[in-house]
Amino acid sequence: MLTLTRTIMSIETKIVPTSPGHSPSMPEVIAPPAPGGNGESNRTPSSKTPSQDHRLTIVELMRVLQFGDSMLPVGAFSFSNGLESAIQHHLVHDLETLRQFVLTATRQSASSDAIALLAAHRSACDHDMTGVLGADTALFNRKMNEEMRTMSVRMGKKLGELSNHLIQASLLTDWLEHVERKETPGTYPVGLGLLFAGLGLLEQDAFAAHQYGTASMILSASLRLMKIHHFDAQAILFEVNTTAEAEYERASRATLDDMATFSPSLDILAAAHVKAHVRMFMN
Amino acid sequence: MTTFHQLPELVSFQDEPRQLPSGVVGKDAFLRLGFERRGDRTVLAHLDRRAPLLVQQALYWDEALPDLPCVFIITTTGCILQGDRFNIEIDLAPDTRAHVTTQAATKIHSMDANYAAQTQSIVLGENAYMEYLPDPVIPHAHARFVTATHIRVHSTATLLYSEIIMGGRKHHGEGELFQYDVYSSTVRAQRTDGAELFTEKFVIEPHVHNVRQVGVMGMYDVFANVLLLAPRHHTDKIFSQVSAVVNLEEQWAAGASRLPNDAGLMFKVLGQESEPVRAKVRDFWSIVRKTVTGATVRSEFLWR
Repeated sequence: MLTLTRTIMSIETKIVPTSPGHSPSMPEVIAPPAPGGNGESNRTPSSKTPSQDHRLTIVELMRVLQFGDSMLPVGAFSFSNGLESAIQHHLVHDLETLRQFVLTATRQSASSDAIALLAAHRSACDHDMTGVLGADTALFNRKMNEEMRTMSVRMGKKLGELSNHLIQASLLTDWLEHVERKETPGTYPVGLGLLFAGLGLLEQDAFAAHQYGTASMILSASLRLMKIHHFDAQAILFEVNTTAEAEYERASRATLDDMATFSPSLDILAAAHVKAHVRMFMN
Repeated sequence: MTTFHQLPELVSFQDEPRQLPSGVVGKDAFLRLGFERRGDRTVLAHLDRRAPLLVQQALYWDEALPDLPCVFIITTTGCILQGDRFNIEIDLAPDTRAHVTTQAATKIHSMDANYAAQTQSIVLGENAYMEYLPDPVIPHAHARFVTATHIRVHSTATLLYSEIIMGGRKHHGEGELFQYDVYSSTVRAQRTDGAELFTEKFVIEPHVHNVRQVGVMGMYDVFANVLLLAPRHHTDKIFSQVSAVVNLEEQWAAGASRLPNDAGLMFKVLGQESEPVRAKVRDFWSIVRKTVTGATVRSEFLWR
């Protein structure tokens, strides 16, 4: 039996060939032995010292699935995270270049967005609205690229509205009011951190949903923009998910000042997308 | 004051050099340039310097802007070495303008202990105009360099700030590209009243994260990062004249984007060699100068 534990996912991988005609390979899970645990649900929203043997309850797991799902109506479907422009300019043209593109995007997400997400989650657990707003502004001011900035605040506001509709969390409502009064930018990672804290889910869960969301947004766009087999898109997603644990380790130790990105090609592609006349996806 | 030793990207590089310790006399450079208005031109009214940074005097070489003091920053050691700490402060009083550049490319030498660090503070008063266009930076194998720049600009002022980073000594021996350990650059910009505009931090660690990956440097070796802080009416005009181009045939790409909080524009260029990248930066500089001052950019010196 596979038990979900407080590590995001602890797996060994082995390389096996994927669908015919494509070179990159898909790692295969060798299921680890399920660690012991009594299944009690005494998890608290405190994210600072998660115990290794705390498991998700069924409801918690289903909350993570719901808010990590690409069906979530926050507009992810309308964005390609720069992929449309990358395809137009032939930077992405096959499975391997798509794989690298997704890995670059998730790396940037982990070294920047995710740090603000964790800061917002931690502040929310401490009922510290000033900390939440600080993380929101710090992240927005580091989004140098207009297209990524617009995407983040459009999705952030939508997520705030949806969350407010579904759950009662005073901090979330308060944050959404700040967004509506244009007193805080309303970035998506900060909204997600607040939502997960409001649901009593750990910061690791929020981190996982966010990394997953970044990759799945690009991959779902790739199915509409290029010739790619669904199985291959899933293989990339599967590979990205295996990098998340190490990325979390780095991000969880970082401060807002450490938020950094380096993806000049993506920045130029985003600039080209803003100026493009023909687009399927929003900018 | 930035505390460099606490940065995560420098954690592994805290050992002291066996030569002179870090930041001692000769490795603790200081430069302060204070520009003020005198009659119809700007003068370099304050100049403090401590080796290995050196500025001799302002020159007025620009025929299109005869009131513009032009300053070469010189590094007397000819390079940046492990343990070096550089501090640069540039201040432009209201209604002044200045052009600051370097005498040559900044070579960051190979390191086997510690790191090199630089802080820059740039303050522009009302209606000030500054072009800060240093020559490219060349990080050698195992160089570790961190730079932190703090900009404060009045809402009527214009700052054109450029940083061109080579992949390394491309034609040295078998080729030495992306073999440095760390290049970390942070620019934090505020209004003179303290309002935050943006912060850009990029950390390049070629031995940790593959820079050749799609979306990072890809096939390109040279990267120019240009920031333009200017009033909205100027940046609107400039933005409309800058097209975003990915030229696969000539192997370069460039594009501009609006900065957060109406601060201005960023303009990024990627290319294979320094010359085409510098040419694109020069094109952007020409548009900026023409729009903001009405003047043209002089032709390149024959020796540069």
